[in-house]
Amino acid sequence: MNRLTTIGAVVIVLLIVGITFGTFTVKETERALKFRLGEVVRTDYMPGLYFQIPFVNNVRKVDARVQTLNESPQRFLTSEQKNLIVDSFVKWRVEDVEQYYVTVGANPRRANLRLSEIIRDGLRAEFGKRTVQEVISGDRAEIMSILTEQAKRAGDSLGIAVLDVRLQRVDLPEGVSESVFNRMVAAREQVAREFRAEGQEQAERIRSAADRRRTEIIAEAQRQAEELRGQADAQATAIYADAYGADEEFYRFYRSLRAYENTFNSQDDMLVLSPESEFFRYFDQLDTLQP
Amino acid sequence: MAWNEPGGGNRDPWSSGGGGRGNNQGPPDLDEAIRKLRQRLEGLFGKRGGGNRGFGGGGDDSSGGGRPKAPGLKGIGIIVGLLLTVWILSGIYIIDEGTRGVVTRFGAYQSIAMPGPHWHLPYPIESVQTVDVSSRRRITIGYQAVSAQQTRPVLSEALMLTEDENIVNVQLAVQYQVSNAADFVFNFVDPQQTLKELTESALREVVGKRRMDFVITEGRTEVAQRTRELVVQALDEYEVGIEVVEVVIQDAQPPEQVQPAFEDAIKAREDRERLINQAEAYRNEVIPRAQGQAARIGEEAQGYVARIVQRAEGDASRFSQQQQEYAKAPRVTRDRLYLDTMERVLGNSAKVLIDNESSQQLMYLPLDRMMRSSGATGSSTDTSGTSSMDNTVSSNSSSNRSQSSVPSSSLRMRETR
Repeated sequence: MNRLTTIGAVVIVLLIVGITFGTFTVKETERALKFRLGEVVRTDYMPGLYFQIPFVNNVRKVDARVQTLNESPQRFLTSEQKNLIVDSFVKWRVEDVEQYYVTVGANPRRANLRLSEIIRDGLRAEFGKRTVQEVISGDRAEIMSILTEQAKRAGDSLGIAVLDVRLQRVDLPEGVSESVFNRMVAAREQVAREFRAEGQEQAERIRSAADRRRTEIIAEAQRQAEELRGQADAQATAIYADAYGADEEFYRFYRSLRAYENTFNSQDDMLVLSPESEFFRYFDQLDTLQP
Repeated sequence: MAWNEPGGGNRDPWSSGGGGRGNNQGPPDLDEAIRKLRQRLEGLFGKRGGGNRGFGGGGDDSSGGGRPKAPGLKGIGIIVGLLLTVWILSGIYIIDEGTRGVVTRFGAYQSIAMPGPHWHLPYPIESVQTVDVSSRRRITIGYQAVSAQQTRPVLSEALMLTEDENIVNVQLAVQYQVSNAADFVFNFVDPQQTLKELTESALREVVGKRRMDFVITEGRTEVAQRTRELVVQALDEYEVGIEVVEVVIQDAQPPEQVQPAFEDAIKAREDRERLINQAEAYRNEVIPRAQGQAARIGEEAQGYVARIVQRAEGDASRFSQQQQEYAKAPRVTRDRLYLDTMERVLGNSAKVLIDNESSQQLMYLPLDRMMRSSGATGSSTDTSGTSSMDNTVSSNSSSNRSQSSVPSSSLRMRETR
């Protein structure tokens, strides 16, 4: 009985040891390599629980999640010899674990280094072909797809799958930014001046149009006024002609008298008269009749 | 997985040593567990003589659990049963509303647990990771939220080049939710950082294709929209398990260094409007005034018409009436009119009567002196002399005189024109 207990205990201990050293799990976020005395024997593990022979097999696990290579900003020359500061990132994940182990020792940092070289090379080449303008606005997506292609090819040999290469920042160097700011300021000044000048132009147009309109209005009024006056004068002339035409001789006489009266209406007028005149007819006769 | 069946009973005696740990719902890191187990076992082997007896007893009891012999063994059996129950109960968990549980068995994805109470095979077989899928999270580009109210700009992110090689300061926020908990947990090392990188890349790409003026004015929504499209597209490819809810441009401005110039340009725009408004005010003042003036001119002309016509009719009537009377007695009337007029004319002015026959040869008339004296005396005699006449005829004629001069002159002008 006691012997049985001992055997049972030994079995249990062996089982525990066997389970502990004889199994391993592969998580969803992992890929695993199984070695047998240093030789890779299996890599195609799905996530789950697996067995191994303790001390003969050993297992190495690598992160199967998507990793990011974040390239630090670097200078690249464009075709017009301008510097651009570029940083990019690469998204990749382990694809062929064995290849990954063989080429970079299943070390993400080493993989990143290798990728980084390729990306820089690609960036240098692609930027060298293009102008700043093209890089910034035109061919950005194209550059990214070219780099992605290159990185994918390189990744295949490293046992990794490159999902994407993206340019993140494409900026001008510090000193150049300064001159860009100056240019922007100048451009704004130009706009400001244009606005003000435009305002003056518009204002001048409006004022002159108003002045012209005023002149037109008054001229129109004056024309109408003169027409009216002309009509009135004509009417008056007709009235006079009608009335005076009844006896022209009398009119002349009547009007003359009025004219004399109006002409000599001042004390300052001096008349030098002859007694022969019609007015003095009796003046003379009386003189002769007197004595 | 076959490990579980024999292990269920056999493990317990060992578990009594580390049972407390077994109940711990720690992180499902099997490596860690195995390593610790190994350490423990190695320790166990080291002092085998002492440990063997204690554990051996328990082991015997489990393996032959059906026949408890001694009361000591029975006590151990109860303890083991309790521990087994606790271990099984440790698999109970609750998923809150708005979260999902990602269940893995030996590291392999098993299922998604919806909100509610659940049970999973206890540690170390299955484990659950809960992921909040309802709360909106956000990442920001170009600024950091310092507190609820305050933000701090991050210029290295915010400043970007536009198509026309200007630099703008764009601040953008992305609100997102976890759409696929399993993808979110398994696929990316840092899903949120990935989203941020993607967004920054997309934003710069979009802004790089737009002109600065457009970006900082009417283009804001378009930039946000286009950025969103690019980010969503990339997220779909990547299978990050993230769903973009909203992409909002917080701010899009020219950089600080050029702000004054931009403000001046805006001021200039206002100045333009001001100048135009002033001119319009001028127009609004001038034209009504001109219209008023035109109305005055019109009215004056009407007045003139009335005056001239009335005057003509008056004059004509006066003449006609007199002429009618004259026609009745022409001679007398003519003499009377003549004498009346001459009387008034001569009576009202200085005069010198010269007999032509007697002093025809040589006559000196000190006209200037006479004028002067008559002017001097004229003023005194004027009051007495004209006062009598003014009442009778002259008042009429003097008023006529001033008036008649106007029409006759204007008439003459009209004719010569």
